[in-house]
Amino acid sequence: MSAKHETWGWMLAVDFFFAGMGAAMLLFAGIAELFGGSNLSTVGILAGAVFVAIGACLLILELGRPFQALRVFMNPKAILTFGAWNMSFAIVAGLLLGTSYMEIFPWFGIVGLQKVLAVICVICGLVVATYPGVLLGRHKGRPFWTGSGMPVLFLTSSLLTGLAAYIVCGWFTEVAPVVTDLFPYLAAGLCLFQLVIWVSYIWIKSSGGSVHAVEAVRRWTKGNYATGFQAGFMFVGTVVPLILFLIPNATAVGIGGLLAILGGLIMRNLVVYSGQDRTWLPGEKEYRSRLPQGHEAFLQKVWTKQI
Amino acid sequence: MPRYAMVIDTRKCTGCQSCTVACRVHNKLPVDMIYNPVTTHGPVGKFPHVRMTHIPSLCMHCDVSPCVDACPTGASQQREDGIVWVEAEKCVGCKACVMACPYGARVSNHEEGTVQKCNFCKDDRVDQGKLPWCVQTCHQKARVFGDIEDENSEVFKLVNGSKNVGRLLEELGTEPFVYYLY
Repeated sequence: MSAKHETWGWMLAVDFFFAGMGAAMLLFAGIAELFGGSNLSTVGILAGAVFVAIGACLLILELGRPFQALRVFMNPKAILTFGAWNMSFAIVAGLLLGTSYMEIFPWFGIVGLQKVLAVICVICGLVVATYPGVLLGRHKGRPFWTGSGMPVLFLTSSLLTGLAAYIVCGWFTEVAPVVTDLFPYLAAGLCLFQLVIWVSYIWIKSSGGSVHAVEAVRRWTKGNYATGFQAGFMFVGTVVPLILFLIPNATAVGIGGLLAILGGLIMRNLVVYSGQDRTWLPGEKEYRSRLPQGHEAFLQKVWTKQI
Repeated sequence: MPRYAMVIDTRKCTGCQSCTVACRVHNKLPVDMIYNPVTTHGPVGKFPHVRMTHIPSLCMHCDVSPCVDACPTGASQQREDGIVWVEAEKCVGCKACVMACPYGARVSNHEEGTVQKCNFCKDDRVDQGKLPWCVQTCHQKARVFGDIEDENSEVFKLVNGSKNVGRLLEELGTEPFVYYLY
């Protein structure tokens, strides 16, 4: 039998991470093209589209029937469908915008096309960077997720990892001056904002939330997520990059970028796995803890009298 | 058009799990799938005032069903009679509905790659004018099934004739149609 999780697992978390980072990169590329007429980084823009595509691939692999993934586009009322369409548009628009700065392509330098693609990148990038938070925040039965905080947390992390990815791009490829001059300071500001909103979120959930929310948040403060959250995400992934981004040294800023990206990855995993805490029914936790774990293959044989 | 509902009398339920077994056998579920677990709350209190309650649960066939809204393929559907069901051919196993359901009523079938759930045995029982297997099997008559919009039905009388009736996680606003007598 498959060992897939009964709830969403790491593949969806990594999907959210790559899609969010790539979407933010396309968002910044679109803004730069629209308001400055400049190319942030051809490699960065193409990487943004590829990151969103990697996220989409992981989303497909997470499905129970990956070969029927196209069905995900069928219900316009579902937020997953909305996200899937926006990811698709973002990938196509990102690839076209990135290649429009390369002379070997026939659409090189067509300003009108670049502006249209930039608008699509801004809109779809913003949606893809935010929608995972909206998706999770709508889950009434998942006490850690529910509420309006998740979209802000996801958008912030997406923007931060997007900026960080451009900064890292600056290490090995040509980037616009704004990436080296302004982006580290923007990233530092986002690190500070991320620090404040995460402390606030945990505090609100643990003091003003339901009994179920308090129980779920205990994992983050004292339970099995505490080390990953406090040491991994908050310290290594947020505080250290905040300091490094403010040091006027390319190496320090680049390492800060890498750590901010790592923090985004840790955060997505912790958040997605915290969805395992549901509003349990009376006695349900004890019931489920008594169910056999890992003996399914043996039970299947017994059940079907194969032994 | 009827609106199907179930009333579960927790005062009668002895926690024998017959409904769980009947459901699994008749629906031919894989070994790691359970549609209707019977959980146990307690014992609570001090002797001689000790209580223990068995709570059979299943899909609540909510009026505001978050699982149907979450489904990106349209596989999760709700009939006019309130029964929420999954069209297996359309399901891709994304688990959006599993995560959306606050009652944990949906389970992944790892062999098929789809998500399945209780559908009140609509095809082979309810649509044939018979009771769901869990209701048919309960020897304590703790489960009652019927049309809650029919004033002469037992479920209507039980829900409207008792003060000790409630629904699980009612505060979430999903309007579940499984009622509990306590």
